[in-house]
Amino acid sequence: MRLRSRYRVGPELKFLGNLDMMHLMERSLRRAVIPYALSEGFNPHIKLSMGTVLPVGLWGENEYFDLELSQRMDTIDFRQKLSAALPSCLQLEECQEIADGAPSLMKIINAASYVFLLEPPFPSLDKWKEELLARPSLTVRSRGKKKGLDKELRTGIYRIEVEQSLNFGRVEIWVAVGEPVNVRYDELGELLLQTGFTQKSIAEVFRSGNYIREGSSYLSPLEVLLDKHTSPCGHSWCSTLRCHY
Amino acid sequence: MKDRLFRDILPRVAKPARYTGSELNMIKKDWEQAGVKMVFAFPDVYEVGMSHVGGKILYGLVNEKSRHLLERVFAPWPDMEAIMREEQIPLFSLESFRPVLDFEVLGFSLQYELSITNVLNMLDLAGIPLWSRERDEAHPLVIAGGPVVFNPEPFAEFFDIFIIGDGEEVLLEFLDQVEASRGLERLEKLKRLAAIEGVYAPALYSVEYREDGTLKSFAPMFPGVPARVRKRVVKDLDQAYYPDKPLVPYMEITHDRAVLEVMRGCQRGCRFCHAGIVYRPVRERSLEILENQARRQLQNTGYEEISLASLSSLDYSGIDPLLKALVGNYGEKGIGVSLPSLRVDAFSIDLANEVQKVRKTTLTLAPEAGTQRLRDIINKNVSEEQLLEAVEAAFKSGWLSLKLYFMIGLPGEREEDLEGIIEILQKVKYIGDKYSRRPVEIRASLASFVPKAHTPFQWRPQNTMAELDSKQQFLSRRRRKRIKLSFHDSRTSYLEGAIARGDRRLAPVIYLAWQKGCKFDAWSEYFNFDCWQDAFRECAVDPEFYTGRQRPYEEDFPWDFIDIGVSKDFLQEEDQKAEEGLTTADCRQEGCSDCGICLAMEVSLNIKGGNVDAIEKQI
Repeated sequence: MRLRSRYRVGPELKFLGNLDMMHLMERSLRRAVIPYALSEGFNPHIKLSMGTVLPVGLWGENEYFDLELSQRMDTIDFRQKLSAALPSCLQLEECQEIADGAPSLMKIINAASYVFLLEPPFPSLDKWKEELLARPSLTVRSRGKKKGLDKELRTGIYRIEVEQSLNFGRVEIWVAVGEPVNVRYDELGELLLQTGFTQKSIAEVFRSGNYIREGSSYLSPLEVLLDKHTSPCGHSWCSTLRCHY
Repeated sequence: MKDRLFRDILPRVAKPARYTGSELNMIKKDWEQAGVKMVFAFPDVYEVGMSHVGGKILYGLVNEKSRHLLERVFAPWPDMEAIMREEQIPLFSLESFRPVLDFEVLGFSLQYELSITNVLNMLDLAGIPLWSRERDEAHPLVIAGGPVVFNPEPFAEFFDIFIIGDGEEVLLEFLDQVEASRGLERLEKLKRLAAIEGVYAPALYSVEYREDGTLKSFAPMFPGVPARVRKRVVKDLDQAYYPDKPLVPYMEITHDRAVLEVMRGCQRGCRFCHAGIVYRPVRERSLEILENQARRQLQNTGYEEISLASLSSLDYSGIDPLLKALVGNYGEKGIGVSLPSLRVDAFSIDLANEVQKVRKTTLTLAPEAGTQRLRDIINKNVSEEQLLEAVEAAFKSGWLSLKLYFMIGLPGEREEDLEGIIEILQKVKYIGDKYSRRPVEIRASLASFVPKAHTPFQWRPQNTMAELDSKQQFLSRRRRKRIKLSFHDSRTSYLEGAIARGDRRLAPVIYLAWQKGCKFDAWSEYFNFDCWQDAFRECAVDPEFYTGRQRPYEEDFPWDFIDIGVSKDFLQEEDQKAEEGLTTADCRQEGCSDCGICLAMEVSLNIKGGNVDAIEKQI
């Protein structure tokens, strides 16, 4: 039996690396006595696969993992047991069964959203957004594989929402994961610094979601699984499941 | 403080999870409700300090079993230290993020001589005067424990109190007395604390040295202060506290696993071994208790590995049933068992195969010396035959790489002993290639021998750096293909040696070395020998005096007042037997060797497997 879960990583855990998060999850599964499945081979490990890596320094509102169990277990029961074993700053929000052959999170997630919480002084957000999206090219220094080289982000920036009050600002940016260009949160940070923000004005950054983007719709990895019993819908990302979209 | 840390400070440092606290099973007691507030300080980085079993024991003991409170602090890595100094952030505890200065007791664990510069650095970061004499009632009591404090003298002027021996035996009693002595002036407080067995307050003693540098006298200055300080001993490990809910760090630490302490002490009697003498006698924990502890620890931590810790775990009398039980209960869940040290015999290899059915990566054996003659001198009772049998058993059962530990610079060492190391390595390699389809990898770690206080070799001179370096070169020249040699830095060993048998006159040197920027001396990338040399020179202290002399048996040592239970006569006899190449058998097998521990401490060997013979002989 395979389960897909959504969880929240609180700010207390924002400095954990990806491997640390894996260990935390595996140890929690053991404490909770979940009947996890083990891989075969000389070095058996829990069949746990996390979604895209949550960068060190960020907390995450909607993160995902898939887990294979060696025996059937009620998802409510699973959620209760695992929740009791997790540290309080990590919450299991939702859990659903997925088909054995469903493609992995890493394969289907192709977009993410990041939120920048701002403190004054910062420029007018509506105007900033309008000008930014109007620009044909947005280049930053790459922080990823081609470190230091110029990197063109424009095609990977899908959508921006802003919210502003007297002493508070919020910018949420939906970006591409993987293709056509992998946009990192620290590259977005640099973009902000290039366009009128200061390091001091960025109070907090977190990842608000991970998505499967098709055209203009952004579905979460759980939303694509709404009904597992009927025939394929034709979407690449839920080949063995039916979805309502 | 915490907000500022999370927002402004930690994003700028490497491995920020070192400083965030909130790990699973952390205990944060109510500050106002607690009795004495103590902070446990480990003078190395988080990953190292969190791996230390003693710290886990004391943390659980104080927080679970008393009304006192114990929080933690580790040495910040230099990048964090720089930001803390720049932003004027004082050293803080990981539980409540309070400045260390707010605590009543600051307790350091001293596991290694050279960590002293980190102690000074941490005191400085905490805003606490480094010299004990400059502190007053407003400052925390600065105390220390651990293996290094069996010779506390080089550090005597930095600490108010040393706790000698098994910490869990004395710490609660100590904290109760700290609470009862609140409001008293410092000297009076120290006197009351020094009345507790195992507690040494250096300020209560006067020390004189002769013109030749040796110790003239060491005596208490006040009535009621004991002339000798006797170590504290947990008599029955089954009755001693051991944590069922150890902290589980978020980041990977050096020893990231559940730990069972199967026994304390070792009676093999290797003459170079400090721990083997100061932690006598052997006390084992019952099989049943260990199994319960394993179950509860794994339940409460979720660890994927459990390790059997002690000085020589395969000597535990119940090792076979214990391993079978652990592998049987947890193997299927993907939880592995690990053995940190193996005995050099085929039986050990069989056991290692038992527990490591899976990854056959590297196996480690410690013959320590290259010839039988030298192994007899150091009383490492292992024959070449046993070693080669063990090696054969290992390669036959599929291990591909083997690591061997040796020491160079041992007393009585000759060129043939160094040749002997190379010969052993070649034989090992030959056996490996015979049984393995792939060429095997042999690695040898060659440590420099450092004579330590309270050991049979405490009278012996240590090799000079030049001697050690030429021995290293000798070995390197004879090295063969696919045999890898790694050496200890002879300068580190030299310094370690000076401090290990040092006295109070080293304090200004240590202070000056710290002032010159020495810290993290255990880390080769930070070790700065030039600064240490300058410090010795400027203080007009000659390290050769501590390391280079053959000390006469009549000499009184600065550490003689620490009563470890093993008699100085026994140590001297052992040294003389070494001179004659005679060995001393393990008293569990062949009867009492008269080291004095059992009589002195009113304990007896506590062997759970019931080695009645040995116990009877000893009585």
